[in-house]
Amino acid sequence: MSLANRMALASPQVRAVCIEANEFPRLSAQFGVRGVPHTVINRDGAFVGALPEGEFVAAVLEGAGIPMEEQPGAAGPSTELSS
Amino acid sequence: MTVIPEHVRAQLKARFELRLTGPVHLTLYTRPGSSRLILPAGIGCATCDDARQMAELLRDAAPEQVTLEVVDTSRDPGRAEVDQVNDVPTIALGANGEPGRIRFQGLPTGTEFPALIDALERVSRAEHDLNAASLAELAKLSQPTEVMVFATPT
Repeated sequence: MSLANRMALASPQVRAVCIEANEFPRLSAQFGVRGVPHTVINRDGAFVGALPEGEFVAAVLEGAGIPMEEQPGAAGPSTELSS
Repeated sequence: MTVIPEHVRAQLKARFELRLTGPVHLTLYTRPGSSRLILPAGIGCATCDDARQMAELLRDAAPEQVTLEVVDTSRDPGRAEVDQVNDVPTIALGANGEPGRIRFQGLPTGTEFPALIDALERVSRAEHDLNAASLAELAKLSQPTEVMVFATPT
Protein backbone atom coordinates (compact mmCIF):
# COMPACT_ATOMS: atom_id res chain seq x y z
CA MET A 1 0.00 0.00 0.00
CA SER A 2 2.98 2.27 0.50
CA LEU A 3 3.80 2.25 -3.23
CA ALA A 4 0.23 3.21 -4.13
CA ASN A 5 0.37 6.07 -1.63
CA ARG A 6 3.71 7.22 -3.00
CA MET A 7 2.28 7.18 -6.53
CA ALA A 8 -0.63 9.33 -5.37
CA LEU A 9 1.84 11.75 -3.88
CA ALA A 10 3.85 11.87 -7.11
CA SER A 11 0.98 12.12 -9.61
CA PRO A 12 -2.14 14.28 -9.39
CA GLN A 13 -3.90 11.65 -11.52
CA VAL A 14 -3.57 8.89 -8.92
CA ARG A 15 -5.88 8.28 -5.99
CA ALA A 16 -4.76 5.53 -3.59
CA VAL A 17 -7.32 3.85 -1.37
CA CYS A 18 -6.16 1.33 1.22
CA ILE A 19 -9.15 -0.77 2.22
CA GLU A 20 -9.38 -2.89 5.34
CA ALA A 21 -10.59 -6.07 3.66
CA ASN A 22 -12.18 -7.66 6.73
CA GLU A 23 -14.23 -4.56 7.46
CA PHE A 24 -15.76 -4.43 4.00
CA PRO A 25 -16.48 -8.08 3.15
CA ARG A 26 -18.98 -7.32 0.40
CA LEU A 27 -16.54 -5.00 -1.36
CA SER A 28 -13.79 -7.60 -0.92
CA ALA A 29 -16.06 -10.28 -2.40
CA GLN A 30 -17.02 -7.96 -5.27
CA PHE A 31 -13.36 -7.68 -6.27
CA GLY A 32 -12.54 -11.34 -5.58
CA VAL A 33 -10.14 -10.67 -2.73
CA ARG A 34 -8.75 -13.97 -1.43
CA GLY A 35 -5.26 -12.87 -0.45
CA VAL A 36 -3.60 -9.59 0.44
CA PRO A 37 -2.32 -7.24 -0.69
CA HIS A 38 -4.86 -7.34 -3.52
CA THR A 39 -4.57 -4.33 -5.82
CA VAL A 40 -7.37 -3.22 -8.13
CA ILE A 41 -6.84 -0.58 -10.83
CA ASN A 42 -9.83 1.53 -11.87
CA ARG A 43 -12.13 -1.16 -10.46
CA ASP A 44 -11.15 -3.49 -13.27
CA GLY A 45 -7.77 -5.19 -13.58
CA ALA A 46 -6.19 -6.62 -10.43
CA PHE A 47 -3.06 -8.30 -9.16
CA VAL A 48 -2.21 -10.04 -5.93
CA GLY A 49 0.98 -9.76 -3.93
CA ALA A 50 3.66 -7.16 -3.29
CA LEU A 51 5.65 -6.08 -6.34
CA PRO A 52 8.91 -4.13 -6.71
CA GLU A 53 8.47 -0.47 -7.64
CA GLY A 54 9.01 -0.81 -11.39
CA GLU A 55 6.64 -3.75 -11.72
CA PHE A 56 4.01 -2.09 -9.55
CA VAL A 57 4.07 1.09 -11.64
CA ALA A 58 3.95 -0.98 -14.83
CA ALA A 59 0.96 -2.94 -13.56
CA VAL A 60 -0.90 0.24 -12.61
CA LEU A 61 -0.25 1.78 -16.03
CA GLU A 62 -1.33 -1.41 -17.74
CA GLY A 63 -4.50 -1.37 -15.65
CA ALA A 64 -5.06 2.23 -16.72
CA GLY A 65 -4.76 1.18 -20.35
CA ILE A 66 -1.28 2.54 -21.01
CA PRO A 67 1.12 0.01 -22.51
CA MET A 68 4.65 0.00 -21.15
CA GLU A 69 7.51 0.59 -23.53
CA GLU A 70 9.88 -2.34 -23.92
CA GLN A 71 13.16 -1.66 -22.14
CA PRO A 72 16.21 -3.64 -23.22
CA GLY A 73 16.99 -6.34 -20.70
CA ALA A 74 14.11 -5.42 -18.43
CA ALA A 75 11.72 -8.09 -17.32
CA GLY A 76 8.03 -7.29 -17.49
CA PRO A 77 5.61 -7.53 -14.60
CA SER A 78 5.70 -10.98 -13.05
CA THR A 79 2.04 -10.79 -12.21
CA GLU A 80 -0.37 -10.43 -15.06
CA LEU A 81 -3.46 -8.34 -14.62
CA SER A 82 -6.69 -10.24 -14.39
CA SER A 83 -10.05 -8.64 -14.86
CA MET B 1 -11.89 1.61 23.58
CA THR B 2 -8.44 3.10 23.52
CA VAL B 3 -7.16 2.48 20.02
CA ILE B 4 -3.61 3.65 20.67
CA PRO B 5 -1.76 2.97 23.95
CA GLU B 6 -0.21 5.89 25.82
CA HIS B 7 3.40 4.88 25.12
CA VAL B 8 2.68 4.81 21.38
CA ARG B 9 1.16 8.28 21.63
CA ALA B 10 4.38 9.53 23.23
CA GLN B 11 6.48 7.83 20.54
CA LEU B 12 4.37 9.39 17.80
CA LYS B 13 4.73 12.86 19.27
CA ALA B 14 8.52 12.54 19.44
CA ARG B 15 8.68 11.05 15.95
CA PHE B 16 6.50 13.73 14.36
CA GLU B 17 8.54 16.45 16.02
CA LEU B 18 11.55 15.21 14.09
CA ARG B 19 9.95 14.16 10.82
CA LEU B 20 7.10 16.52 9.95
CA THR B 21 8.23 19.53 7.97
CA GLY B 22 5.04 20.76 6.29
CA PRO B 23 1.30 20.83 6.82
CA VAL B 24 -0.91 17.77 6.54
CA HIS B 25 -4.66 17.99 6.29
CA LEU B 26 -6.66 14.99 7.46
CA THR B 27 -10.29 14.58 6.52
CA LEU B 28 -12.24 11.96 8.42
CA TYR B 29 -15.44 10.88 6.69
CA THR B 30 -17.68 9.29 9.27
CA ARG B 31 -21.19 8.54 10.42
CA PRO B 32 -22.56 8.40 13.95
CA GLY B 33 -21.14 5.21 15.46
CA SER B 34 -23.08 2.18 16.52
CA SER B 35 -20.56 0.65 18.92
CA ARG B 36 -20.11 -3.05 18.17
CA LEU B 37 -23.71 -3.68 17.22
CA ILE B 38 -24.23 -5.47 13.93
CA LEU B 39 -26.77 -3.43 12.03
CA PRO B 40 -28.23 -3.69 8.54
CA ALA B 41 -25.89 -2.42 5.85
CA GLY B 42 -25.75 1.33 5.58
CA ILE B 43 -26.83 2.00 9.15
CA GLY B 44 -24.35 3.07 11.76
CA CYS B 45 -20.62 2.48 11.65
CA ALA B 46 -18.90 0.02 13.96
CA THR B 47 -15.41 1.54 13.67
CA CYS B 48 -16.15 5.24 13.13
CA ASP B 49 -15.65 6.15 16.78
CA ASP B 50 -12.29 4.37 16.84
CA ALA B 51 -11.28 6.01 13.55
CA ARG B 52 -12.11 9.39 15.05
CA GLN B 53 -9.93 8.62 18.07
CA MET B 54 -7.12 7.66 15.73
CA ALA B 55 -7.46 10.79 13.61
CA GLU B 56 -7.56 12.99 16.71
CA LEU B 57 -4.48 11.20 18.03
CA LEU B 58 -2.57 12.04 14.84
CA ARG B 59 -3.65 15.68 15.02
CA ASP B 60 -2.82 15.95 18.71
CA ALA B 61 0.63 14.44 18.16
CA ALA B 62 1.59 17.44 15.99
CA PRO B 63 -1.13 20.11 16.24
CA GLU B 64 1.10 22.75 14.64
CA GLN B 65 1.40 20.68 11.43
CA VAL B 66 -1.65 18.41 11.30
CA THR B 67 -5.18 19.69 10.87
CA LEU B 68 -8.31 17.57 11.06
CA GLU B 69 -11.70 18.08 9.48
CA VAL B 70 -14.54 15.71 10.35
CA VAL B 71 -17.24 15.18 7.72
CA ASP B 72 -20.43 13.45 8.89
CA THR B 73 -21.64 11.86 5.67
CA SER B 74 -25.11 11.29 7.11
CA ARG B 75 -25.50 15.06 7.38
CA ASP B 76 -23.45 15.99 4.31
CA PRO B 77 -23.77 13.19 1.73
CA GLY B 78 -22.99 15.61 -1.08
CA ARG B 79 -19.51 16.21 0.26
CA ALA B 80 -18.69 12.50 0.22
CA GLU B 81 -19.94 12.31 -3.36
CA VAL B 82 -17.90 15.30 -4.49
CA ASP B 83 -14.78 13.94 -2.80
CA GLN B 84 -15.53 10.46 -4.20
CA VAL B 85 -15.55 8.78 -0.83
CA ASN B 86 -17.45 5.51 -1.03
CA ASP B 87 -17.73 4.35 2.54
CA VAL B 88 -16.93 5.19 6.14
CA PRO B 89 -14.79 5.49 8.06
CA THR B 90 -12.32 6.94 5.57
CA ILE B 91 -9.31 9.02 6.51
CA ALA B 92 -7.96 11.12 3.63
CA LEU B 93 -4.54 12.75 3.74
CA GLY B 94 -3.54 15.78 1.73
CA ALA B 95 -1.53 18.97 1.94
CA ASN B 96 -2.85 22.51 2.13
CA GLY B 97 -6.46 21.60 2.83
CA GLU B 98 -7.01 19.80 -0.49
CA PRO B 99 -9.22 16.68 -0.54
CA GLY B 100 -6.55 14.06 -0.01
CA ARG B 101 -5.78 11.50 -2.69
CA ILE B 102 -4.29 9.09 -0.14
CA ARG B 103 -7.08 7.34 1.69
CA PHE B 104 -7.55 4.66 4.29
CA GLN B 105 -11.00 3.10 4.25
CA GLY B 106 -11.76 1.21 7.46
CA LEU B 107 -9.85 1.36 10.72
CA PRO B 108 -6.11 1.17 9.89
CA THR B 109 -4.79 -1.03 12.69
CA GLY B 110 -2.06 -3.67 12.77
CA THR B 111 0.19 -3.52 9.72
CA GLU B 112 -1.95 -0.74 8.24
CA PHE B 113 -1.14 1.69 11.05
CA PRO B 114 2.55 2.05 10.10
CA ALA B 115 1.41 2.63 6.51
CA LEU B 116 -0.83 5.46 7.72
CA ILE B 117 2.05 7.02 9.66
CA ASP B 118 4.36 6.62 6.65
CA ALA B 119 1.80 8.29 4.40
CA LEU B 120 1.32 11.20 6.80
CA GLU B 121 5.05 11.80 7.03
CA ARG B 122 5.49 11.57 3.26
CA VAL B 123 2.70 14.11 2.67
CA SER B 124 4.28 16.43 5.22
CA ARG B 125 7.68 16.15 3.58
CA ALA B 126 6.32 15.97 -0.01
CA GLU B 127 8.57 12.94 -0.31
CA HIS B 128 7.47 10.13 -2.61
CA ASP B 129 10.94 8.61 -3.17
CA LEU B 130 9.97 7.11 -6.51
CA ASN B 131 12.80 6.69 -8.99
CA ALA B 132 13.11 8.67 -12.22
CA ALA B 133 11.92 5.79 -14.40
CA SER B 134 8.71 5.45 -12.35
CA LEU B 135 8.07 9.19 -12.53
CA ALA B 136 8.53 9.14 -16.30
CA GLU B 137 5.97 6.35 -16.56
CA LEU B 138 3.53 8.08 -14.21
CA ALA B 139 3.71 11.21 -16.34
CA LYS B 140 1.93 9.24 -19.06
CA LEU B 141 -1.25 9.11 -16.99
CA SER B 142 -3.69 11.61 -18.43
CA GLN B 143 -6.84 10.37 -16.71
CA PRO B 144 -7.71 9.94 -13.03
CA THR B 145 -6.59 6.50 -11.92
CA GLU B 146 -7.82 4.78 -8.80
CA VAL B 147 -5.54 2.27 -7.10
CA MET B 148 -7.39 0.25 -4.47
CA VAL B 149 -5.23 -1.90 -2.20
CA PHE B 150 -7.06 -4.42 -0.05
CA ALA B 151 -5.13 -5.26 3.10
CA THR B 152 -5.68 -6.80 6.50
CA PRO B 153 -4.33 -5.84 9.92
CA THR B 154 -2.24 -9.04 10.24
